[in-house]
Amino acid sequence: MWSYALRRILSTIPTILVVITVCYLMLHLTPGGPFDSERKVSAAVLANLQAKYHLDMPLWKQYLYYLNNLLHGDLGASFRYADWSVNDLVARALPVSLSIGGISMIISIVIGVALGIVAALKQNSLVDYFVMLLGNVGSAFPSFVIGPVLILVFAIWVKWFPAGGWDEFSPKYMILPIVLLTFINVSTIGRVMRGSLIEVMNTNFIRTARAKGLPLRTIVMRHAIRPALLPVVSVLGPLAISSITAAIVTETVFSLPGIGKLIVNGAGNRDYTLVLGLVVLVTVLAVVLNLLVDLAYAILDPKIRY
Amino acid sequence: MKLSMKLIAGAVALGFAAMSGAAVVPAGVKLAAKQELIRNNGSEPESLDPALAESVGANNIARDLFEGLTANDAAGKIVPGVAESWKQTDPTTWVFKLRKNAMWSNGTPVTADDFVYGWQRFLDPKTASPYASTYGIFILNGLAITEGKKQPSELGIKAIDKYTLEVKTEGPVGFMADLVSNTQLGPVNKAAIEKFGKDWTKPGNLVGNGAYVLKDWQVNSKLVLEKNPKYWDAKAVVLNKVTYLPVEDGNTDVKLFQSGENDWVYQLPPGTYDQLKTEFPKDIRNAPMLGLRYYSFNNTDPLMKDIRVRKALSMVIDRDILASKVTADGQVPAYGVVVKGTAGADVTAYDWAKWPMAKRVAEAKKLLAQAGVKPGTKIKFSYNTSEYHKKMAIFAASEWKTKLGLDTEMENMEFKVLLKKRHDGDFQIARNGWVADYNDVTTFLTLVQCDSDQNDNKNCNKKGDELIKQASTTLDPVKRKTLMTQAAKVIMDDYPMLPLLQYTVPRLVKSYVGGYTKTNSMDRFRDKDLYIIQH
Amino acid sequence: MTKKNAALVEVLQTSVEAQIAGRSLWKDARIRFFRNKAAVISLVVLTLVALACAFGPMVLPHSYEDTDWNAMGIGPSFHDWHLFGTDELGRDLLVRTLIGGRISLVIGLLATIASVSVGIVWGATAGFIGGKVDSVMMRVVDMLYAIPYLLIAILMVTIFGRNFSLVVLTISIFSWMDMARVVRGQTLSIKSKEFIEAARAIGVPTWRIIFQHVVPNLLGIVVIYTTVTVPGVILTESVLSFLGLGVQEPMTSWGVLIEDGTNVMAATPWMILFPGAALSITLYCANYIGDGLRDALDPKDR
Repeated sequence: MWSYALRRILSTIPTILVVITVCYLMLHLTPGGPFDSERKVSAAVLANLQAKYHLDMPLWKQYLYYLNNLLHGDLGASFRYADWSVNDLVARALPVSLSIGGISMIISIVIGVALGIVAALKQNSLVDYFVMLLGNVGSAFPSFVIGPVLILVFAIWVKWFPAGGWDEFSPKYMILPIVLLTFINVSTIGRVMRGSLIEVMNTNFIRTARAKGLPLRTIVMRHAIRPALLPVVSVLGPLAISSITAAIVTETVFSLPGIGKLIVNGAGNRDYTLVLGLVVLVTVLAVVLNLLVDLAYAILDPKIRY
Repeated sequence: MKLSMKLIAGAVALGFAAMSGAAVVPAGVKLAAKQELIRNNGSEPESLDPALAESVGANNIARDLFEGLTANDAAGKIVPGVAESWKQTDPTTWVFKLRKNAMWSNGTPVTADDFVYGWQRFLDPKTASPYASTYGIFILNGLAITEGKKQPSELGIKAIDKYTLEVKTEGPVGFMADLVSNTQLGPVNKAAIEKFGKDWTKPGNLVGNGAYVLKDWQVNSKLVLEKNPKYWDAKAVVLNKVTYLPVEDGNTDVKLFQSGENDWVYQLPPGTYDQLKTEFPKDIRNAPMLGLRYYSFNNTDPLMKDIRVRKALSMVIDRDILASKVTADGQVPAYGVVVKGTAGADVTAYDWAKWPMAKRVAEAKKLLAQAGVKPGTKIKFSYNTSEYHKKMAIFAASEWKTKLGLDTEMENMEFKVLLKKRHDGDFQIARNGWVADYNDVTTFLTLVQCDSDQNDNKNCNKKGDELIKQASTTLDPVKRKTLMTQAAKVIMDDYPMLPLLQYTVPRLVKSYVGGYTKTNSMDRFRDKDLYIIQH
Repeated sequence: MTKKNAALVEVLQTSVEAQIAGRSLWKDARIRFFRNKAAVISLVVLTLVALACAFGPMVLPHSYEDTDWNAMGIGPSFHDWHLFGTDELGRDLLVRTLIGGRISLVIGLLATIASVSVGIVWGATAGFIGGKVDSVMMRVVDMLYAIPYLLIAILMVTIFGRNFSLVVLTISIFSWMDMARVVRGQTLSIKSKEFIEAARAIGVPTWRIIFQHVVPNLLGIVVIYTTVTVPGVILTESVLSFLGLGVQEPMTSWGVLIEDGTNVMAATPWMILFPGAALSITLYCANYIGDGLRDALDPKDR
């Protein structure tokens, strides 16, 4: 298993290379450049800007230049945030996204799994319908609707929390964004858990255990949960990636300085270096998180071998 | 000669007339104990280096951290900055006398050399300032330096002595005092820049000469300024701490205002003005500014090439309904390229602007018939996605449809894609807008001048251009104004573009924020002019 | 030996059942589906919503594109039959909600089918074959997470122009990866089950094992996860509209209507209320139907 893990981590390198190359070409094919703005810069100024950011070199040379910098751990200078390097920007935004996304994932797993179990055990009863009604809020209402409602209630009416902003991991700024992300994640986890537990409860193995008269609690906790968690774990990978890197709605609604905002602003401003830097980051995150998921499979189902 | 004497006298008078530019707290106003302001700035500044500042937001912060020769006060008037007084000694020479008590935030004096360094650095191709040609064009050799044809040292700026600065211009620049209020044309601290290199704008490194110093900067989160005790006019500065927010989303902005975490909404989201006006009658502020919303006709397009088509399309848009009902946020109808309040020219308007709509429609139909354009003809309108632009576009399309029978195909796209299409001339009609860089008619005329970088319409009126050229070399301000006005009218009679509305800035500013005025038509509020009233 | 034999029997049974007794299987499923009341009610409601969207605009007095400067932003009223009120340009919101529903439902359906099929095939293949194939296929999935969708969308519209099938295609490109990962995870687990080993032992070709034995056992999780992706699919359309790829004014969709409505939530709440309710009702129905379908298709629940 460990050699498998090591191989997977090493596979990040070719993966990054391919993604960077693809994105590099895409960025240069996309209409509009980093220096197009409402006020068109003169030809001379444009030439100066391009020289400053090495965009005057032939494309292949720029590409090699970028790769060389990347090799040295330098993601380059940002175009949109001209005073900052991409390294700086990512280093500042990542902890914000990781903390909000990570905490929300943990809470969501606990709540989601619990809701799923309750609903599955009371399948097709009013309890089931109600639990799922609650659990599904996050998937039935767009987050750009839930977010403003949370703000209206908790920041403007009762004034328990600020309406947005960020202050050095101060909890009062983190709670509402975490709640919003949790709404979204719980609905996915809860639904998958419900379905998969029902499935497991119907297997011969569990039926036999029930026929033997073992208490339900023991059956669920000892025997059913582990296999039922397998599909839940499968969704955790993608869910975690999007909670960390694609939480743009949450970041916009609560005005958070996270990764999602950088991705959107980077792409919108054709900030080549920033976009590529974030692509590297997300690739690493995706590979690592999905590796963790795969390792978790092996723990949940000893028959799975790599 | 007599003429220029008159001009000089005027300039000197201006130099002495406006003496102090600091916060003027009216008698009887009680100040709050806590002088702190949180203002949203609309976006994250792209740079705190005044030479690289391009957006409105970045320039707002630059005006707090740095001070040029002159400055805009809260009322929108030009007041002395580092320069105490200035004179135009001959048509292309200005002399600025600097105050001796101006200091950098590290305690060293601000001298004429700092300006020479700042200006040369601003225009140096290596700096690659986006504004280099916009302002450089006025200064002797400015453009040539940006183009790399001359050395920065050849720029028309010279330190006569430690506190006297001489500026040579390419032609007569009557609005010099206005122009040099921009911090791009200000001083920067050579020692700090050379010491810290690229990192010189970071907290702790930045040395400025403005009323505030940089305390903290969290990208996409906040930027905190504190009062600069070394500032020459520090005793008149009231606010101790200013926090700039970079919130782009208008709704988030308003929510922060409602929950008390923001004193200053950058701009109200579309469609909320009336409701917020009722909800916050004391905090709502709205004033026109020097900016124009317009649509560019592509004058090289087979259909739009015909002036009759352009005229007809322009005539039938009811700007009054557009302003009062569609945008419904106090914007002012516009019928020319120059907006109200612009110095150096009068507002021009089309004759038909006063006609009843029925007559306008009849005339427009006649024009279209003459041009051979039949009802049902398709026209294509391109705009970048935004709630505001969309509403205006739907209105325009509906006017063209119901009044002229033309079918508009609306095409929305991402901003950069529109910019590219506009610059490449790959459109028929496109949304456009312009906010003045400095208060003079020439900033607006760049939109319609032949071969101007800002001319997306690709039109060219030789006679108009000739008039502008003539006006630019005219010393007498009255005569210059007549010529410029005439030029604007001549060009607009070609209908190169479709003027719609003059910008206003509808926003919420807490009623206890003092110093905010309705006459600041460039929307440039320095924090040194603001204060918190006891509440 | 006995275990393997039993598994072998099961394999033969399923394939035989699948061919001969196919009808009764579906009948079983139908019966199980109708046992779930929430699912049945949801099915009825969803059908009504779809019918209203399909035929409503034909019988209503207003058109979805006509602006009315004298009826801008008015609330729901019987006057002039603006039952859902009007938007800020005086366009009837009921008609626009229904018209928007057409787009959103069709996109939701097509893009879901597309992304689910790709996800199943990709995930099951990778998981079942394993080894290098799995590695490469899953790294492709990882890469797609990393490429900013904004770029893909802008490029698509630049290169191919605007059309409806492109919207469906683009959304599918963004949304099949999660399904692929989930399916792969389940496949890994199913792969080690005896009946699969048995099928292999008797020489059933790989692709037949995947589609006849693996995929049917995945249906439960697939159905559940499909309902999880539906809201994303419908809302992604509004993001694409922002980039100029989705619907163009005056045409609209639920995603676009809701986004417009959110901006003026406080001033004209009905602009978010009605399209939002339409979407939420649809999504809730989809969820309950999904749960019902899952229960119905569960091969073990007999």
